[in-house]
Amino acid sequence: MAMTILAPSSPLSAIEALRGDKTKRPLCDLSSASGLRAQLEDGIYSIMGKASPLTPLVVRSSSLRQNHHTIDIQQASLSLFRGILVTQVLRLLSVGVEVTDPFSEALSAWRCEKSGSDLVRSFNQLDKEQVARLEADVNAHASTLKRSLGVVSATWMPRSCVRASQRFAGGHVLLFDVVDLMVGSTTSKFASVALFDVTTSPLDAGAERTMRFHALMQTLKTSVCRFEHQCFQVPLVSSGRVTSITNFFREVLMKYSALSMTCGSTYEHSGSPSQHSSKH
Amino acid sequence: MSTLVHRRNTVQNINELIDSAPMTSSQLTNDHRASLSARFRAVNATSNRRIDAWMVEQAGKPYDPFHWTPQIARRVLGTNALRRSTTRSDLSLIQAVRDELADHLLRTTAGYTQSGSLSYWLSGLSHASLGLVCAEAVTWATTTYEVLQGIETPWQLAQSDAYYDVSAARTSLRGRRDIVIKNDEQRVVLRLRAGSPGKSSGPGLRCDLTIDALTSPTGTAASRFIGVWPDAGVCLSVDGTMADLRAGARDLVRTAVVQQRGQMLKAA
Repeated sequence: MAMTILAPSSPLSAIEALRGDKTKRPLCDLSSASGLRAQLEDGIYSIMGKASPLTPLVVRSSSLRQNHHTIDIQQASLSLFRGILVTQVLRLLSVGVEVTDPFSEALSAWRCEKSGSDLVRSFNQLDKEQVARLEADVNAHASTLKRSLGVVSATWMPRSCVRASQRFAGGHVLLFDVVDLMVGSTTSKFASVALFDVTTSPLDAGAERTMRFHALMQTLKTSVCRFEHQCFQVPLVSSGRVTSITNFFREVLMKYSALSMTCGSTYEHSGSPSQHSSKH
Repeated sequence: MSTLVHRRNTVQNINELIDSAPMTSSQLTNDHRASLSARFRAVNATSNRRIDAWMVEQAGKPYDPFHWTPQIARRVLGTNALRRSTTRSDLSLIQAVRDELADHLLRTTAGYTQSGSLSYWLSGLSHASLGLVCAEAVTWATTTYEVLQGIETPWQLAQSDAYYDVSAARTSLRGRRDIVIKNDEQRVVLRLRAGSPGKSSGPGLRCDLTIDALTSPTGTAASRFIGVWPDAGVCLSVDGTMADLRAGARDLVRTAVVQQRGQMLKAA
């Protein structure tokens, strides 16, 4: 049964809340992850059977959103750019960079990373009014993010844009994931990993599924559950997207929800012009 | 027979692969080197060519013109930063990456860099772009550090990638290697890669094994060459047998042939 637990009040620092109490961390769960892959394979086989599509079925965290749709790069909305740029701000903050002009600095970093990509070309076609609107939006979101993120200590080993990819059904189903920020050691015997995902869109059921997807992918990657208080579930793939996950990492979800509420609600107050999903 | 092995990337599996590496490994002689050189010479080269495992995996597909990006720079910066932090325990990975970046920028200021070098590229970046490069390098260094933490045998970071210039063939081979584990007579090499392995990753790994053996003064191959894909949670390994070395060399020559054909078609 899926359950969302919200913190009674917004934490002062999201990172502090994510890290929790060091003395209360449980040991890594070395047993729960075993068999998860086999369960997934079985679940996928029950849907796909022996079908071998010409192109692999790709599942990303965006595939789990309720109103998911294919993004046409030519018509990429401002909210997509907003999400990208806010993520860049997060990456800069995670390594202690002082961000004074969020929009232009995030844009500079993004262009450095993705120079020549279709999205950058699409961005370059925005008119002045759209850029101005985006700038105001990104600055407002970055301000909220800076305020609620807190200081990311170097000893927590922060790594940003952590990618994960998994193949199932003989390579016919591909799962891709990118976690915005990950802190904590994966080599400790205690469960100390926390995943941090920033979304600039309002919370919906899709956000909850995304959180579980991140936790699932990270567990598949390391074969060990390193999150606090976790329990597993099996995603069932249908029609090109994950339709249900019945188990999830409760503690991680609670922390995520607390964070999302903190940022999400403030973002809504900041006058976000678009209600489209901007998580990428 | 191929010795390619596929495992999940867990601490236990990596240690098992290291511990169970064969005690003996093959050795490339001068005859082998001469034979390889002759085969490369038979493939005309209009200019100097460089071949690596990635090109083999891509079936000789021509490269886009090289330009530095944060994703390309992260391995150099991250590995060097990790080397710094292993010698100074008080240095965090973020600080080590910053020090590494500062060294590159100082080198440019002192006029010791050439156009196209990493230092030169870094010196032209904005403050924010440098921050992004730092973030990428920290992520790479942390991922490598976590792999290292699980290895129970004494290890060391590879001093550099393996470069071998094939005599009189205008060809240089580049093999990637990140971690070297020396245990008595055994030598196991680990290579880290982003993304996930594809169908041609085994041949790619064998090419790195072959190039690593060619760069050894004695021609001794690593007992085992392990490729780790942390993003996918997968590792592959090949043993330093003569069959694998030969297969690696064959793939390198084939790639040169495909490249040459591509160039001829382009010219036509």
